[in-house]
Formats: sequence, C-alpha cells, structure tokens
Amino acid sequence: MEELIQHLTPILKEVWGYIFPNEIELHWGILIVLYPYLTGLVAGAFILASLVKVFNVKELQPTYRLAMLTAMAFLIVAPLPLLGHLGHPEKSYEILITPNSASAMAMFGFVYAWYLMAVLCLEIWFEYRRDIILWAQKETGIKKWIHKIISLFSKDISEKAIHFDKKWVKIITIIGIPSAFLLHGYVGFIFGSIKANPWWSSVLMPIVFLFSAIVSGIAMVLILYMIITPIRGKELDIVCLDKLASYLFYAMIIDFSLEALDFIHRIYESEESINILAYLVSNKLFISLIVIQLFMGMLIPLAMISLIKIFKAPSDLKKMVYFISAILVQVGIFSTRWNIVIGGQLFSKSFRGLTVYKITFFGLEGFFASVVIFCLPFVLLYLLTKILPPWEEARNP
Amino acid sequence: MKKIWHKIPEQVKRLSVLLIVIVAVFIVANSLLTPKDFGLVGHYRAGSIQENADRELKYAGQEACADCHDDLWKLKNANYHKNLSCEVCHGPSINHTNDPDQFKPEIPRDRTFCVVCHEYNTSRPTGYPQIVSEAHNPRKICVTCHNPHNPTPPQAPKECSACHAEISSVKSVSSHMDIPCTKCHVTTEKHRLHPREFRPTKPVDREFCGQCHSQSAKADKFIPRINMVTHEPRYVCWQCHYPHLPEAQ
Ligand code: HEC
Ligand code: HEC
Ligand code: HEC
Ligand code: HEC
Ligand code: HEC
Ligand code: HEC
Ligand code: HEC
Ligand code: HEC
Repeated sequence: MEELIQHLTPILKEVWGYIFPNEIELHWGILIVLYPYLTGLVAGAFILASLVKVFNVKELQPTYRLAMLTAMAFLIVAPLPLLGHLGHPEKSYEILITPNSASAMAMFGFVYAWYLMAVLCLEIWFEYRRDIILWAQKETGIKKWIHKIISLFSKDISEKAIHFDKKWVKIITIIGIPSAFLLHGYVGFIFGSIKANPWWSSVLMPIVFLFSAIVSGIAMVLILYMIITPIRGKELDIVCLDKLASYLFYAMIIDFSLEALDFIHRIYESEESINILAYLVSNKLFISLIVIQLFMGMLIPLAMISLIKIFKAPSDLKKMVYFISAILVQVGIFSTRWNIVIGGQLFSKSFRGLTVYKITFFGLEGFFASVVIFCLPFVLLYLLTKILPPWEEARNP
Repeated sequence: MKKIWHKIPEQVKRLSVLLIVIVAVFIVANSLLTPKDFGLVGHYRAGSIQENADRELKYAGQEACADCHDDLWKLKNANYHKNLSCEVCHGPSINHTNDPDQFKPEIPRDRTFCVVCHEYNTSRPTGYPQIVSEAHNPRKICVTCHNPHNPTPPQAPKECSACHAEISSVKSVSSHMDIPCTKCHVTTEKHRLHPREFRPTKPVDREFCGQCHSQSAKADKFIPRINMVTHEPRYVCWQCHYPHLPEAQ
C-alpha cells in the first residue's frame, strides 16, 4: 500500500483535469511499445525480401538473405516483451493448449507459430538447403553437425531437387506476404478494435500499422546492410542501396498519406473525443508526435531522399543521406508506436483529463529490460549469420 | 506403392517427418497438459469454481451485523446511508462477528474518510450530497455534527461562521470586526437551512458605506471619513476595499 501510494503521488500531481481512478497509472508501458515495433520490423523485412522472389527485383538480391535472417531474429524476440509484460512466462503455453477463438489476443500464439514455422523457417530452409548440404560436406566438428541437423540430413542436390527448392521458395513467399500482413495487420487490429478508445478505434489502424511496418523493415535492413558490409571489408552495392531507398520512399509516401487520411477523417468527423485528442496532441504528445514522428521521422527523410534523387547527388553523399534517413525513420516509427500505445492511455475515457506516463527503470517492465530486449535481435542476428551466412561469397558455386 | 514413394521429392519426405513429429508432440503435450476438468462448464477449469469458493472469507455482509447491532442497523437503514453496507465504513469484519471481544472493526473517525465519497467532484451526479471539505467546517471531525448512521444534517447553526469560516475569521481581526455580518447582509432564517435558495442581501451602492464613512455621517467620530464626491466617484467601494478586511490595500 505504502509503495503504491509513493508510486502514484508524483503522477497524481501531474494529472490534468478529471480522470477516473483506474486511469492514473498506465497499464501498457514501454514493453508494449516495443512489441508492435518489433513485429513491424519482422513484417517489413519479410516484405522487402519477397520483393526479390515474387516481384523479381534483381537489384535487391544482395539484401535478400540478410532480410530473411533479420526477420527471423526479430520474430524470435517479438513475443518476449509480451511475456515480460504479462509477468508469468511459465504459463504462456496455456494459451496454446486451450485456444480461445473468441479472443484476438489469445489467438496471437497461433498467428505467430504459423508465421514462424510455416513461413519463415520453411522459406529459409528451402533457400539455404543446397548451401547447407555443401557446407556440411566441407566442415568438421560441431559446425558440421549443426548444419546436418538443420538440413534434416537431406542430401539431394540434384538439378531437379534444386529446381523444386526454388519453386517452393516462391510459393512460400506468395503465402508469406498475406501472412506478414496478417501478423502485423493483426497487431493493428488489436488496437483498432478497442472501440472504447477513440485514439485507437479505427478501421484504418491495421493498414497504417502495416505500412509503417514496411517502412521500418526496409529502413532496418538498409541500416544493417550499410553497417555490416564495411565491417566485412566489402563494397556497398550502390544500385541496391538506390533501390532500397526508392522502396523506402514509396512506402513512406503511402504511410504518410494513410496517416494523413486518418487524421483528416478524425478532424472532419469531430466526434465528442476530438477536443481531448487535440489537447493530447498539442500537449503531452507534441514532442513525440509532431516533432519526432512527423518532422524527424517522416518529412525530413522524405525531403532528403527526394532532394538526392532530384539533384543526382554523388554516391558518398547519397550513402550518408540514406543512412541518416533510415536512422531517422527508425526513431520516427518507434515514436509512432509510442504515440499509439502510450498516447491511447494518456487521456481519460471521461474525455476531461490527461494523465502522465512515468517510465520505471528497473524490473521486468522497466526501461533497462526493454533495452535488453531491443538489443537481443541483433545478437541473434549475429549468431544466425554465423550459422547461415547470408553473404554472396559464402554461397557455393 | 514403392514407386510413388520414390517419386516424392526428398525434401518433402523429410519435412513431413518433421511435421508429423511436431503435430505429435503438440497432441501429446495437449492431452497431458490440459487440465482434466477444463471446458466442462465453460472456457475454464471447472475446479477453479471450488478453489474460489474455498478462499478465506473477509466480509460478513450487513445482515450479519443486525444480529447484535439491531438498533444501529435499523437506524442506518432508515436514513441517508441506507444503501451503504456497514463494512464499507468499518472494514472487513467477519472475525468480529465470530468473536466480538477479540476482534474490533475499524472506526473511521477521520475527516479524510467521509470525503472519499462526499468531496465535491464534477463527475458526481447532481443532487448527490457533496461538500468542499476545505470550506466545510474544516476544524472539526465530521461525526461531531453528523451521526454516521443517520447523517441527516443537524440543526442549522446560528453562527454565520459555521459555514463562512474563512470570512468570519478574516473579519474578526479586521477594523470592521465590531460590525455584525447582518449589518451589511440582511439574512433570513431560511438562508441557514437552504443557503443557495435564500441568499442574503449584499450592499449595492456607495451610499451604504457612506452611512459611516461620509463626512456628513452621524457615526462615531473615530471612524475615518472620506469625501464621497471626490473619493473615486466612478467605482463602488468594494472594488478597492475588501469589505471584510477593509485595511488591506
Ligand atoms: C455476535 C454479535 C455481534 C455481531 C454479529 C457483530 N457485532 Fe459488532 N460488536 C459486538 C459487541 C458485543 C461489541 C461491543 C464490544 C465492546 O463494547 O467492547 C461490538 C462492537 C462493535 C463496534 C465498536 C468497536 C469499538 O472499538 O468500540 C463496531 C464498529 C462494530 N461492532 C461493528 C460491527 C459490524 C460492522 C458488524 C457486522 C459485520 C458487527 N459489528 C457484527 C457484537 C457483535
Ligand atoms: C458511513 C460510514 C458508516 C456506516 C455505513 C456504518 N458506520 Fe458504524 N460508525 C461509523 C463511524 C464514523 C463511527 C464512529 C462514531 C463516533 O465516533 O461517534 C461508527 C461507530 C459505530 C459503532 C460504535 C459506536 C456506537 O455508536 O456505538 C458501532 C457499534 C457501529 N458503528 C456499528 C455499525 C453497524 C452495525 C453498521 C451497519 C448497520 C454501521 N456501523 C454502519 C461509520 C459508519
Ligand atoms: C461509500 C460512500 C460513502 C461514505 C464513505 C460516506 N457516505 Fe455519506 N452518503 C453516501 C450516500 C450514497 C448518501 C445518500 C445520497 C442520496 O441519498 O442521494 C450519503 C448521504 C450523506 C448525507 C446526507 C446529505 C443530504 O442532506 O442529502 C450526509 C450528511 C453524509 N452522507 C455524511 C457522511 C459522513 C459524515 C460520512 C463519514 C462518516 C459519510 N457520509 C460517509 C455515501 C457515503
Ligand atoms: C460544524 C458542524 C459540521 C461539521 C464538522 C461537518 N458538517 Fe457537514 N453539514 C453541516 C451542516 C449544518 C450542514 C447543512 C447545511 C448545508 O447544506 O450546507 C451540513 C451538510 C453536509 C452535507 C450535505 C451537503 C448538501 O449539499 O446536501 C454533507 C455531504 C456533509 N455535510 C458532509 C460532511 C463531511 C464529509 C464532513 C467532514 C469532512 C462534515 N460534513 C463536517 C455541519 C457540519
Ligand atoms: C448552513 C451554512 C450557512 C450558514 C449558517 C450561513 N450561510 Fe451564508 N451561505 C451559505 C452558502 C452555502 C452560500 C452560497 C455560496 C455560493 O453559492 O457560492 C452562502 C452565501 C452567502 C452570501 C452570498 C450570497 C450571494 O449572493 O453571493 C452571503 C452574503 C451570506 N451567505 C451571508 C451569511 C450570513 C451573514 C450568515 C449568518 C447570519 C450566513 N450567511 C450563514 C451557507 C451558510
Ligand atoms: C461592512 C459591511 C460588511 C460586513 C460587516 C460583512 N460583509 Fe460580507 N460583504 C460585504 C460586501 C460589500 C460584499 C459584496 C462584495 C462584492 O460583491 O464583491 C460582501 C460579500 C459577502 C459574501 C459573498 C462572497 C464574497 O466573498 O464576495 C459573503 C459570503 C459574505 N459577504 C459573508 C459575510 C459574513 C459571513 C460576514 C460576517 C462574518 C460578513 N459578510 C460581513 C460587506 C460586508
Ligand atoms: C457601521 C459603520 C460602518 C460601515 C457601514 C462601514 N464601515 Fe468602514 N469602518 C468602520 C469602522 C468602525 C472602521 C474602523 C476605524 C478604526 O478603527 O480606525 C472602519 C474602517 C474602514 C476603513 C479604513 C481601514 C483602515 O484602517 O485603513 C475602510 C477602507 C473602510 N472602513 C471601508 C468601508 C467600506 C468599503 C464600507 C462599505 C462596504 C464600509 N467601510 C462600511 C465602520 C463602518
Ligand atoms: C478606486 C479605488 C477606491 C475606491 C472606489 C474607493 N476607495 Fe477608499 N481608498 C482608496 C485608496 C487607494 C485609499 C488610501 C488612500 C490613502 O491612504 O491616502 C483609500 C482610503 C479610504 C479610507 C481611509 C481614509 C483614511 O483617512 O485612512 C476610507 C475610510 C475609504 N477609503 C473609504 C471608502 C469608501 C466608503 C468608498 C466608497 C464610497 C471608497 N473608499 C472607494 C481607494 C478607493
């Protein structure tokens, strides 16, 4: 009790207007911000990869495998924030053994499992199978066994078998695109279907989530590619970078238009919540929404990339601009998630008051836990690239 | 048969084995881990009903109190607090009903307690009795005037200070301290019972203050006089002088 009072007292001082008692403290904190951000990166990286296979965008070939592994690394980490938030990771299997089809949240386990096993693992397996077999032949010791097990002891690398692999990579990608939409549109759906919350409740929510996911996924692969390649002492493929930047640009335009549409729609409808939402945006969310999400994360990168394209800048300048834009986009998309998750809980359902979010630093739901979770995918990605090197030169001729 | 087996690509065979293993593991795990009584009566364990029923009781319910405190029970149920359970105020008391001498319920005599429900709050429905506790007899605990089991407001107080504590305390140290409130406010008896419906009068013009402060006034000599014609003629006096503390600048 004492503890609770100490925790709530400083928050209460910053409460503005009238709010209900159960709204003082936010229930969904930074971990729930991280969760849609991470799943977004998965879906985005996968869509980028599928451009190569389904739409035959040859220029992006150098990033194809990297994108797949990135999606994998982030997907494995994506449920961790949820487990941390719910606080009983040891009970999580229960939602799988007693599925409740009436609850969107409870079905997430299945959407996740489908995407992990039927799409990502399978596609990576078919894509890498030939290489894994050949690697295993050359290697010794533990690595040989890891590769043997991953290949399921498969041996067939005949022309016919390779052709079969290629065909299936394509089929799985085609199944994978709607699945990626499902995975992330679904996260948007969970927010969009909360009808009591006017900040969330919108049919556009899944689509807005999806396109911001694509934006963040492309930007993440671009950043990783631009960091890893020089570290490996290799040259950046400028054609590939240009293509990545173009797709980033298009995706951002769509994302921007959708968000603007949502915004205009809300203002024009002017439901009874509009006053408090306007107040929310112009006060508590001013920095994170107007400054970071809109200007830094959207308008500045858009402007920079278009200038580069119009004035045919030299390639060094180009690289720098792409890199900075991609970083800004990441920050922008993270604050998009922040504004949705945190913003949606800052105002009272009485529409007459605002509360504040006080981030805690320690504990399962604190700032440090979320930093650890955010770094985890990069560690995983490093391990994955050790086991399944995505580099061009690692391919067997 | 053998021919068909050979025709299936190697990859598919291996993946099918994996798939079968995964499905088998899921089915086995599912049958082992799902609680036996799950789903018998709904999407939950039937046993959890009993588990919840077995939990330790804390509240006795107000009928239980009637056995021994029937006088208070009747009193409360005949008055404004009839819809409140005894334990809303006295806290969980099942131990007390079993052994009244050993366990004593809480008795919330603090001013901070009643205002949980009665502090003025815009979200409360109109007509629900609310007070601004800072202005509502701040120096006394609520039960000196309100019987918690029959909170009907007591006899209307004679003194204006019961309700206008701040004004009275300010005035009592001002140079107007000897002037009774009713000299400036004609107050009916009804104001004390229904203060908002029956408002006292307030002075309306400069001449009112002039009774004592104009040069021609017949009041005591020591009262400071002003020239009513030249002393800020375009304003009423209380735009500059707070009547309950006139010396304040
Ligand atoms: C079995 C009879 C019995 C029941 C049932 C009972 N009480 Fe009492 N209660 C007593 C007796 C006897 C006393 C007086 C003890 C004393 O004076 O020391 C008492 C005293 C109290 C007091 C005053 C304690 C104090 O410190 O002076 C409160 C408050 C009270 N009861 C509330 C309740 C409430 C609320 C309930 C219903 C949940 C309840 N009682 C049910 C017998 C009972
Ligand atoms: C609105 C809150 C409230 C409710 C409801 C309430 N009480 Fe009380 N009760 C009090 C307070 C406050 C006191 C202390 C009164 C005092 O000190 O003068 C008190 C005092 C008592 C006492 C001991 C003093 C006395 O007057 O004998 C008993 C016994 C008691 N209550 C029983 C009950 C029972 C039984 C009920 C339900 C029928 C009940 N109360 C309902 C607030 C409440
Ligand atoms: C759990 C909430 C609650 C608590 C605690 C509570 N009351 Fe009440 N009170 C009520 C309700 C409900 C009414 C009845 C309102 C109605 O009839 O519309 C009421 C009515 C009253 C009234 C009648 C006002 C009128 O003239 O209409 C008074 C006075 C009062 N309470 C005083 C108190 C005092 C003093 C205490 C503390 C001992 C107290 N209340 C504690 C809920 C509460
Ligand atoms: C000095 C005596 C006194 C004290 C102490 C006192 N009150 Fe009152 N209270 C009154 C009187 C007299 C009235 C009726 C006049 C009025 O309606 O303002 C009243 C009226 C009320 C009303 C009804 C208001 C309405 O609009 O119908 C409530 C509720 C109330 N009091 C609660 C409290 C609470 C809670 C406390 C303790 C924090 C408290 N009182 C302390 C004298 C008192
Ligand atoms: C039972 C409590 C109570 C008592 C006793 C009481 N008043 Fe009031 N009085 C009120 C309330 C409540 C108001 C309304 C305040 C408001 O609406 O802002 C009020 C308002 C007033 C006003 C302002 C009226 C207006 O139109 O702005 C005056 C003057 C006043 N009272 C004078 C007195 C005088 C003089 C006495 C003593 C003879 C007195 N009151 C006794 C409760 C009381
Ligand atoms: C010297 C005359 C005088 C005396 C004595 C006096 N008042 Fe006033 N009072 C006024 C005037 C004049 C106003 C009008 C102020 C205004 O309209 O701004 C007023 C206003 C009020 C108001 C309205 C609220 C406010 O603060 O403006 C209340 C309540 C009040 N008086 C209560 C009292 C009470 C209670 C006493 C006795 C303790 C008292 N007055 C004594 C002259 C007086
Ligand atoms: C019943 C007579 C009377 C009325 C009516 C009256 N006053 Fe006074 N006034 C006094 C007295 C007595 C003093 C105190 C003189 C002293 O002790 O020096 C005083 C003092 C003052 C002072 C000087 C305070 C100082 O010490 O500097 C001012 C200003 C004043 N009154 C304003 C007003 C105003 C404004 C009104 C009209 C709302 C008013 N008075 C109505 C009797 C009255
Ligand atoms: C525009 C503001 C204003 C208005 C209106 C006003 N006064 Fe004054 N009054 C003052 C100021 C300022 C002083 C202080 C002058 C000084 O100390 O020389 C003062 C001083 C006084 C004094 C004290 C004189 C002394 O010798 O100590 C009295 C009495 C007085 N006013 C009464 C009144 C009365 C009665 C009215 C209404 C008819 C009135 N005032 C209207 C501003 C005002």
